[in-house]
Amino acid sequence: MKKKNMKKTKYAIEVRALSKSFKLPTDKSWGLKQAILNRIKGIKGYVKQDVLKNISFNVKKGEFLGIVGRNGSGKSTLLKILSEIYVPDKGKIKINGTLVPFIELGVGFNPELTGKENVYLNGAMLGFSNAEMDEMYEDIVEFAELSPFMHQKLKNYSSGMQVRLAFSIAIRARGDILILDEVLAVGDAAFQEKCNEYFRNLKGEQTVIIVTHDMENVRRFCDRAILLENGKIIEDGKPNKVADAYLKQFN
Amino acid sequence: MNRKNRILLSELTKTDFKLRYQGSILGYMWAIIRPLLMFGILYLVFAKFLRFGDDIPYYPVYLLVGTVLWNFFTECTNQGIQSLIIRSDLMRKIAFPKWIIVISATVTALINLGINLIVILLFALLSGVSFSLSWLIVPFLIVELYMLSVGIALLLGSINVKFRDVQSIWEVLIQALFYAIPIIYPLSFVVVYSDVAANLLMINPIAQVIQDVRECLITSETVTGWEILPNIFVKFLPIIITALIFAIGALVFKKKSKYFAEEI
Repeated sequence: MKKKNMKKTKYAIEVRALSKSFKLPTDKSWGLKQAILNRIKGIKGYVKQDVLKNISFNVKKGEFLGIVGRNGSGKSTLLKILSEIYVPDKGKIKINGTLVPFIELGVGFNPELTGKENVYLNGAMLGFSNAEMDEMYEDIVEFAELSPFMHQKLKNYSSGMQVRLAFSIAIRARGDILILDEVLAVGDAAFQEKCNEYFRNLKGEQTVIIVTHDMENVRRFCDRAILLENGKIIEDGKPNKVADAYLKQFN
Repeated sequence: MNRKNRILLSELTKTDFKLRYQGSILGYMWAIIRPLLMFGILYLVFAKFLRFGDDIPYYPVYLLVGTVLWNFFTECTNQGIQSLIIRSDLMRKIAFPKWIIVISATVTALINLGINLIVILLFALLSGVSFSLSWLIVPFLIVELYMLSVGIALLLGSINVKFRDVQSIWEVLIQALFYAIPIIYPLSFVVVYSDVAANLLMINPIAQVIQDVRECLITSETVTGWEILPNIFVKFLPIIITALIFAIGALVFKKKSKYFAEEI
């Protein structure tokens, strides 16, 4: 019984034969009139584009996984399916634990609200209650180094301060799995160093999946990486190997 | 509703509420002032100049009830339909049940209605209307109107995600609808002119609710759908329509909402 349980929880994420396609509207198929006309004429009004083609992989608990690939290779779509924003056409995904997605930093941030209000709003979007946010709040503000500004409206923040706040929520939010899309290091040099430090120390504690174009980050932080090309995994393994394969694509 | 959804719903509603009147001097007072101003204009034109309500007791309260309920219906549906577009950024970036967006937009309208109802009650008592047990029926009628509004918002809102024309069509339609409901004119005007026309008007659930609230709250001399509609099936038709619209709205929304993040 015990053994079975352990086997069950070995993976944080399991992805089986995942496929996804989009119906991209052709330029004339916008609006109600055109939709009705298309229906009458029997025109489809869209082209189908396969974004992910039969993808399978597992992510172990505590693993730091990097997903790399050229623009349009399907990285973001994959993250959005893992985050349950998109529905897969075929295949299955299984998430063990709470997943905290940051497809973009500061989702729902409102310039008219104060820094503090935005932290709680952002937390609610991620599914944290006020009580849970109370516990995390000090930690977030301290990491962002913004405590004197938390009662100011967000519109009075510099853009650097805004990303710092958003990023601090991302890495201080207590979830089992953290998903970050192209947002590894933000802010000025000092803050970036602090973020790097944080990721270096993180190893093994939390499952992290990042999408990035910076191979330095892949080599530095990841335990494993996946290279996507045209919706397929063409390389899966050691970060160095995958980073080299990625760079080779441009030669 | 699970805990996570409840947190999000209350947080989104609070934000909506905080932001709606931001930067205005009177702030939240506008939620009361707006319908009162609209009422003032209608009262001046229809009660004082055109003398519409001379044979109706407490006509000003009668008119106020109509405008407040109508305001609620338009606010609920307009905000509800547009809410998905306004929050499109959220849907693209994070996963959560989409109905929360529509409901949070309508909850703000519901709160405004609550405040306006207090104004109505005060106004009614000051005008000499006395309390009666039938007041207790009013909440049920409001539930009916809310269900109708939410049903419409879910149905049209989910179509509006792909075809933004819906929003504009609804705004025009609602203008026409205003005159097809006995809000400014008494229903008795129509009854005198044609029974069929009056029956047709009263099949509309909004008209039914407005007349019933007037009947319960102000005067039993109100002509209601229940009194004039011919048989028991037709008498229940407004409620059946409400339930149908709500059910269809919920079903269509459930089916379409899976793909909102991709289509918006």
